[in-house]
Amino acid sequence: MTLLSVDNITVQYGRVPAVRGVSLEVHEGEIVTLIGANGAGKSTTIRSISGLNTPTSGSITFQGEKISNLTPDKIATLGITQSPEGRRVFPYMSVHENLEMGAFQLKSSAELRRNMEIVHVHFPVLKERHKQLAGTLSGGQQQMLAIGRALMSNPKLLLLDEPTLGLSPLLSQQLAKIVRDLHETGLTILLVEQNARMALNLADRGYVLETGEIVLEGPASELRSNEEIQKMYLGG
Amino acid sequence: MDWPTFIQTIANSIVASSIYASIAVGLALCFGVMQMANFAHGEFFMLGAYVVFVLNAMLGLPYPFVVLLAALFVGFVGLVVEQTIFKRTRGNVLAGFMATAGLGMILQVIVGQLWGFALMKTIPTPYPETVSILGAQIGVQRLLIVPGAILSVGLLWYFLHHSRIGKGLRACAQDQEAAALQGISVVRMGALAMVLAGMLAGFAGALMAPVHAVTPYMGHAVVLTAFIVVVVGGMASVEGAIVASILFGFVHTFAATIFDSVVASMIGVVVMIVVLVAKPKGLMGRAKA
Repeated sequence: MTLLSVDNITVQYGRVPAVRGVSLEVHEGEIVTLIGANGAGKSTTIRSISGLNTPTSGSITFQGEKISNLTPDKIATLGITQSPEGRRVFPYMSVHENLEMGAFQLKSSAELRRNMEIVHVHFPVLKERHKQLAGTLSGGQQQMLAIGRALMSNPKLLLLDEPTLGLSPLLSQQLAKIVRDLHETGLTILLVEQNARMALNLADRGYVLETGEIVLEGPASELRSNEEIQKMYLGG
Repeated sequence: MDWPTFIQTIANSIVASSIYASIAVGLALCFGVMQMANFAHGEFFMLGAYVVFVLNAMLGLPYPFVVLLAALFVGFVGLVVEQTIFKRTRGNVLAGFMATAGLGMILQVIVGQLWGFALMKTIPTPYPETVSILGAQIGVQRLLIVPGAILSVGLLWYFLHHSRIGKGLRACAQDQEAAALQGISVVRMGALAMVLAGMLAGFAGALMAPVHAVTPYMGHAVVLTAFIVVVVGGMASVEGAIVASILFGFVHTFAATIFDSVVASMIGVVVMIVVLVAKPKGLMGRAKA
């Protein structure tokens, strides 16, 4: 079943289009990845899904409802959460408070506690450091916090924007394992990555963005063996 | 400076710090949450004092009740200003500044037309007694301002740190986009910040009314100091605004007692420059994440 469908959107910064006529779909239970070089429009696309950018044309629908005219907070309450590029944790709030903010839309504190426990299972370090100010965490820990925060409302679709950016290869591997674990619990994930190798290993399907347009799409296994992709993104 | 004057000046400094804090904290909160500066904030303070003038001095309603009404009324004014000005000028600091500076003048003129420009209003002091502290005579009304301000600023601090909505306000002040991604409505939080700021300023004005010259222009001097306090405290930092209020309360009051109020204002600006040279982001300034 189609959970999210991005239909032919164009997004402009001023008069410069960052994304032109991009269409993609995410089905329930999938990991879909969006890969491409820096400045190809990956972040712009994912920001548009969350409502942080507004497409000048085209539309985005989630569970059959048009969301491309909604504000970001509305979209979040529909069940799309995002771990944004650069982590964007609240630096002067504790780890615990950051996670509470992820559950801002929840009305019941029992649900908050339950989700907090689930997040602590995936990221034990967040439990150990629950009193520490988020701004004083290491980059890897901040990334885990940003993902944990996005999980706190028990979303239907998780958007991950460059989760391994700036992380060591070891941490990236750890993170990949967590993403796989989350997927196994049934979570649908849209993953934006510059690390194409990792992304295509995790994903069921992928889209390749080049200068604001989608140039290739297909099952991740096909993309992995595609010669162009190997040359351009997989270093061989 | 003899001993009683010294004690008297200390007491006055504490009173001034309390007033600055309850005004500057609201300004800092709004700046943090909306990234907009409300230049009519001093007139919010003035309106609080006029609520006391009209309802207490003219109509004879009991003072504590009127103080409460002043906070509620000016909180409502804050909401109206958010809905009519900041909602439309969001993201454009200059437009918000011009519009609220204009609003400040309009409020001064309206109040002046209704109740007169020139003479300051006398408001009967509900607590005319004085107490003797270490040889200095200090009015009870002045002393009441201190616990009043501590209570209101303390309640705000508690709200910001221990309630879900209050934490949401802090999240907005730290990263608006990230807050929106959590389902926090940045627009609603801006409105709430304006209501809280209005309530604090109105409350402060109402507390000060019996011991302050009540005129349409009384907000002007206060807001200038409050802005200096907020800049020194680190713009969006509520804690910084409190610390800077205490600093300026003492510096300004002592300078005004030893020299005069013009020199005190000059020294205040010098202190601001020194702080900003040493710590460009203010005492508790925060680097944008």
